[in-house]
Amino acid sequence: MNYPVWYLPGVGGGLLIASIAILHVFISHFAVGGGLYLVFAERKGLREKSRAILDFTRSHAKFFLLMTVVAGGVTGVAIWFIIALVHPGATSLLIHIFVLGWATEWVFFLVEIVAIFVYFYTFGKMDDRTHQIVGWIYFLAAWFSLLLINGIIDFMLTPGAWLENGSFWSGFFNPLFWPSLVFRTAVACMFAGVYAFLTTSFLKDETTRRTMTLFSGKWVLVSWLAAIPCGIWYYASVPPPARTLIAGASPTIQRALQAGFWSLIILALLTLILVVLKPARHSRPVALFVFLSAFVFMGAFEWSREAARRPYVINQLMYSNGVLQADVAGLQKNGFLPAARWANLKEIHEENLPDAGKELFILQCYACHTIGGVNNDFLARTRTMSYPAMLAYLRTIHDKRYFMPPFAGNDQEARALAAFVVKGLHGKEIGEGTGTGGSRDPGEDVFEEHCSMCHTLRGGGNPLLPKLAGWDPQRIRHALDMLDKLKGGIMPPLKAPPADKDALAGFLAASLRGGSK
Amino acid sequence: MNAPIPSPDTLPVAWNWLQGLLMLMFPLHLLLMNAMLGFTAVSLYARMKGGETDERLAHELAKALPVLIAIAINFGVAALLFLQVLFGQFFFTSSVLMAVFWLSVPLILIVAYYAAYLYDFRFATLGKRGALPIALTLIGFLGIAFIYTNNNTLMLEPQRWVAYFSNRGGTMLNTGSAATWPRYLHFMTGGFAAGGLFVALFGRFKERRDPPLGARAVELGMNLFTTLTLLQIAVGFWFFIALPRTVMLLFLGGSVTATALLAVGLTLALAALAAGFKRSVVLSAALTIPLVFVMAFMRDAVRTGYLKPFFTPDMLKVAPEYSPVVLFFITLMAGIVTIVWMLRKTARVYRTII
Repeated sequence: MNYPVWYLPGVGGGLLIASIAILHVFISHFAVGGGLYLVFAERKGLREKSRAILDFTRSHAKFFLLMTVVAGGVTGVAIWFIIALVHPGATSLLIHIFVLGWATEWVFFLVEIVAIFVYFYTFGKMDDRTHQIVGWIYFLAAWFSLLLINGIIDFMLTPGAWLENGSFWSGFFNPLFWPSLVFRTAVACMFAGVYAFLTTSFLKDETTRRTMTLFSGKWVLVSWLAAIPCGIWYYASVPPPARTLIAGASPTIQRALQAGFWSLIILALLTLILVVLKPARHSRPVALFVFLSAFVFMGAFEWSREAARRPYVINQLMYSNGVLQADVAGLQKNGFLPAARWANLKEIHEENLPDAGKELFILQCYACHTIGGVNNDFLARTRTMSYPAMLAYLRTIHDKRYFMPPFAGNDQEARALAAFVVKGLHGKEIGEGTGTGGSRDPGEDVFEEHCSMCHTLRGGGNPLLPKLAGWDPQRIRHALDMLDKLKGGIMPPLKAPPADKDALAGFLAASLRGGSK
Repeated sequence: MNAPIPSPDTLPVAWNWLQGLLMLMFPLHLLLMNAMLGFTAVSLYARMKGGETDERLAHELAKALPVLIAIAINFGVAALLFLQVLFGQFFFTSSVLMAVFWLSVPLILIVAYYAAYLYDFRFATLGKRGALPIALTLIGFLGIAFIYTNNNTLMLEPQRWVAYFSNRGGTMLNTGSAATWPRYLHFMTGGFAAGGLFVALFGRFKERRDPPLGARAVELGMNLFTTLTLLQIAVGFWFFIALPRTVMLLFLGGSVTATALLAVGLTLALAALAAGFKRSVVLSAALTIPLVFVMAFMRDAVRTGYLKPFFTPDMLKVAPEYSPVVLFFITLMAGIVTIVWMLRKTARVYRTII
């Protein structure tokens, strides 16, 4: 609310961040682990006095340089650009709190660049010992870069004691710092092997290809095994609300985790085949397949990590839409638009309700929702909702669904936002009543208010009636008292009076019999 | 409507520490960018001109270019960090207003950077066609500079920000402002001029082992330097009078510091030009390097002048915590020692080889 919003309703900022960030993280982890790989590959070549292995290491170093310094370095800058465009308030906070942490990271970035250039351009020209030391300098600088960025990224999910004392060190060495650092180090070493599969697949000499494929495969497998306990430690250190989202409360995280899980399995199986069973079968398509599996895994991890932070961009401090948690109560009392610096409308009348609602949508909802886009489409999620249902939902949105931020506005503003959604986006009437002349089943109102943000009756992404096939009314009514116990606790409990639950159960039972549309 | 300037966040150390670091990192970034521009332009020219010496020169410059780009980006990161911490409420806002262009910067940079590598690694096989990738690199650099000029001027003119309400898609530019085009041309003229000087310095460095190549680099570089510095007299004057009157008057006695900076800057520029006409490369460089620092300080005085009605950095709140400063300076010292060690070892390798 402090900054203007870059408004691209059909695209959304989240998708832009994700596409740049996943690409960068996939390369930047390689930039860390791959440095260590170079050192060990060179040592292997020297110890075995193998010209072929040293030649391979040199050509791998060239690939490494081109991949990490150009694509890796510049996409790192691009992440900084895109987060500042999509979340300027949060980026500003991170820059201010950690400015000297970032500055320290910059020093390591500089050392990294100089070291990798020296390493590559003096390969085979410098004495072996010094050259290997340069390789180690590169790796250590890259790892310390990871360490610094890791502390700041984890701060966003677990600010820890910083929330009380505001200390740089408390924020940096936050509860996720160590588990995340070891997990990412293991992933970095795994990626060193994954990327090397690509370059080994181009080797023409059969023996060297076999030797270096085995060598690379060991990196993948050992790191893969190490990543498992690290990942469990990481998961255990995630704060409870985020863990609930990861455990099943968020369908998008579930999809990402499934993709991540299967890609890790494929990655391990293909590597096992290459290393243990058929090293001779190593080919470019196989290398590419392993590479893509690793990419999907990294994407799934980063997506889940980001999504699990919802409704916050910085946990317990700032919501995803840039509203500070501490400001919400005041905004609900005194109104959001007069306080929002970049709102075009400051006052609400009956005539400008949808226009004012659009301002509220841009400033509070657009941070995560698109209109008709791929990511979190707002239209699909609100299609079935009536004006009263939308209004009721807005008032309890954070309680009903933890990962949604509370609506930070007064009653008049809630009406405006509901009007924008129902009338402005869907072209429906915005009467305070049900709009069906009173002949409507009261259970349908309860359904709209409590269920329709996730479910349709039939059709759509998550229809309810097929799940209730064969249920009698008593069973439905009983289930409404224990929604949070169903399906592994994914659903929130239904907070409604017993009479509303009775009406809802009746409506659902009638709908099952075909008595309601 | 008043300009909706966001509230700034709290600093962890007094603003002048960060200002000091900005005023150190930014001129270093400028010098590296100047070298990058000069190497790109002269290499392109020499590649197109052809002939044995020119081609060799084009290739030698091409070999150094990727390293220059990497280090220039690196110092740009440091400068941008300190800019954002001191002037974030202006800079983040102007960036959002021109988001599409701003986000295209890293994209253009990746293309320009890979084109520079392609040009270097495939120099012989590409032959004359090599002019295409390096021309692409040059166009990319010119485009990025244009986007930066727009952002760095838009951030200074909050009164122009209200145009956002009729265009929220991030496709604003600041070309409507009187100072944008002359500022862009001023920086580009200066950048290529200083870049020419770096090419000449490179020539001096190469002269002992490869006299024809060294002499050609000096010739082309110094021609670029003197011609563009002469042109700068006109362009710089245009930029000066395009500044808002209140800002311009700062340099004409309104502010002692700004006026002194202008006087020192002009003196250094004229002296460097005179040395340039005498083909005294080292003296020209010795005068131009401090000149770039003075120009960066003048640029800061312009920024201060523009923002004065709204903000000065001493208004920022501070919640002091100095221990991270210690971390930074220890790391910086260790980093410099490590880099110097690596460069000495590298220099020894190249001495032995040659």
